[in-house]
Amino acid sequence: MSAPGRQCKLVEPQDLGRLVTEFLPEGGLLALGGLFKQNRPMALVREVLKSGRRLLRLVSSPGSGFDVDVMIAAGAVAETYLAAVTLEDRMCPAFRGAAERDEIKAHCVDALSVVGGFLAAANGVPFQPVDAWKGSDVIRHNPLVTEMTCPFTGRPLHATRAIHPDLAILHAQEGDIYGNIRHLSTMTYADQMIARAAKRVIVSVDRIVDTDDIVARSRETSIACNYVDAVVHLPHGAHPTGSFPLYSIDEDHIAAYATIAEAARKGGDAERAALADWLDRHVFAPETLSDYLDMIGGGSRLAELEREAEAL
Amino acid sequence: MSRTKDCTPRELQAFVLSKELRDGEMGAAGASAAIPMAAMMLARLTHAPDLQIAGEMFVNPRPRKLYDSMLDDRALGACEAAETFLELFGHSHRGLDFFFHNGMQVDAHGNINLHHIGGTIDAPKMRGPGAANISYAHTSRRFYICTNVHSPRTLVERVDFITSPGYLDGPESCRAAGITGGPRLCVTPLAVMDFDPETLRMRLQSVHPWSSVQEVRDKTGFDLPAADTVPETPLPDSETLALLRQRVDPEGLLRRA
Repeated sequence: MSAPGRQCKLVEPQDLGRLVTEFLPEGGLLALGGLFKQNRPMALVREVLKSGRRLLRLVSSPGSGFDVDVMIAAGAVAETYLAAVTLEDRMCPAFRGAAERDEIKAHCVDALSVVGGFLAAANGVPFQPVDAWKGSDVIRHNPLVTEMTCPFTGRPLHATRAIHPDLAILHAQEGDIYGNIRHLSTMTYADQMIARAAKRVIVSVDRIVDTDDIVARSRETSIACNYVDAVVHLPHGAHPTGSFPLYSIDEDHIAAYATIAEAARKGGDAERAALADWLDRHVFAPETLSDYLDMIGGGSRLAELEREAEAL
Repeated sequence: MSRTKDCTPRELQAFVLSKELRDGEMGAAGASAAIPMAAMMLARLTHAPDLQIAGEMFVNPRPRKLYDSMLDDRALGACEAAETFLELFGHSHRGLDFFFHNGMQVDAHGNINLHHIGGTIDAPKMRGPGAANISYAHTSRRFYICTNVHSPRTLVERVDFITSPGYLDGPESCRAAGITGGPRLCVTPLAVMDFDPETLRMRLQSVHPWSSVQEVRDKTGFDLPAADTVPETPLPDSETLALLRQRVDPEGLLRRA
């Protein structure tokens, strides 16, 4: 066991509101881990929304969707630096509607500019040179990118600006009380770079494991404790996104939201009220994670999602 | 005519694309890419056993069935290596042999738009999802456009915004921009188009058995040159179709409307 006095980074779920408010200023830059419908830190997203922080600027690994759409629907977002925003089989209704009504500034960025920005920040340099862009309008409109000259050869290149999120929220399957994180999912997405780029990092994990277990398989530690400010035990904290191999994606839940949000985008007061009601029931009303999990179908639904992941 | 009922448009798109992929090549498809993934898997089973699937983080995955999304552990968790976004730069700079694109708009020069239709990028009438990796359009040796629909709204003379470049405005603009790769085919539910080597504009190569030159032209938003006699797109033989249905797509995702 560890020496007494070592700082325990395990925080209680009820402390998250305070931590989010401490780490993330109004209008702050928030980074989300995971990719599309996998390992998205949904329970932490709900904590950010409950904290009341507004005018947020969002950045993510190159693929985002449901989480970002819910945050926009809740009115918490001012700007996005997101390469692709999609539910994959359909578009993100709140993102699309807010961009078209000029309620958010949806910056035009791509994967290399965002990943390059994380990489530069992780390496402590102001920009990442990029030599793989040609002919796309995305480059001309990308606020992260400028032209530069190679200092060695004089050749024209692009530079993409370092991205330093105020707060990164990530989800992984396992971690210990000191903040050592272990992804069991096949991919680690951009989570490792984001953890290095961000000023503050909160990670939710499905399970807390003993530090001896971390030590026994140290090569599998995906994010070392020195990059993590707080770890919180939130089983099923990625729902409705998947946390493989523990539980699969709740496509029905995401589709039900998308139908309501799309109706609100196209419709009038009644449809917008229905979306506000959805947000209230799923984000603001549940006081604890277990209240939330009861709301989305409880143990039987969670068991279905676990079986689906197990059968893969 | 009975043969045409044997194969759905999406199955034929996968078959057409599979024949394009050669043994020993390396390429990938992005998210929402059931047809391209089916094409790569079918190519491996028929003529390209050494086809390498890599470039979108899952190296040589072994999907047991197709999903609408083909970029998560359900489909690709069983794979030879799992990369992270760190490898994005490696793949983008080295390029792939082939990649696949889809778009809200695709134009006569094969440019792809996933950002906005109408208005401007800052004040869009309709805002699209954007794209993840736009560099593969030109760093890959070639790419294929595979669309869900064939309509004048999708196939337009000029895209409102170039997310991923095809042949821009033609040979001169490609030279000026330093673009050397580009789209090889555009495969839709109705037809196969290729590109005139002189003008780098799309032209009709073959029409699927359930469509006609007239229908394809009516549903294309730009003038589509064609030979006097346009061949019918060859359908897969029964053995190939059986491989597609039994080994690649056992749950019939490509058979659904």
